[in-house]
Amino acid sequence: MTELPPHIQEKVQHALPSDLIHDLRTPLGHILGYAELLKEQAEEAGDSQYQPFIHKIQFAAEQLLGMLNENFRATKRT
Amino acid sequence: MTKILLVEDNEMNRDMLSRRLLRRGYEVIMAMDGQMGLEMAQSESPDIVLMDMSLPILDGWEATRCLKAGAETKAIPVIALTAHAMSSDREKALEAGCDDYDTKPIELTRLLAKIELLTGAKQS
Repeated sequence: MTELPPHIQEKVQHALPSDLIHDLRTPLGHILGYAELLKEQAEEAGDSQYQPFIHKIQFAAEQLLGMLNENFRATKRT
Repeated sequence: MTKILLVEDNEMNRDMLSRRLLRRGYEVIMAMDGQMGLEMAQSESPDIVLMDMSLPILDGWEATRCLKAGAETKAIPVIALTAHAMSSDREKALEAGCDDYDTKPIELTRLLAKIELLTGAKQS
């Protein structure tokens, strides 16, 4: 999981509504899933030109997921 | 070929997960609500069910209880899929009769390991 920068770590300690976390995780799952599909298909096609961009999409989505998970954990809803 | 019944009401989740499973060599059939999932489990005899829990008409917990109460379907393993990460969700799924539990966003490697464990079949 992507480590969060300290200034973001502090911000995510404030509780978000759990239904909002749920609503945000769903489209985030779509982004991560389709990015993984793209990555696999680009690899199979031997196409390396898009790999750096796919990696950036995955990194950004995982960072966002990390913030949501940390907010969930920090506000003791697990 | 291992036949997976994916019960999921979110169209993008269905599309994305079914594509990823098909690429791994699984046969995937899909239902959009718990009632349809229950009927397809009876008519299609899948090797395993991936069950979203927040479903219309019949939710995933009730659909799993019905599956596990049916003579023809009780042996079919069920993996609950939810967007929540609360430990109470895991307990609630297991109490309904689910054999395992996983959270969304799906980590495919982790989910595949659970599918293989419960079906005893490894795909390509």
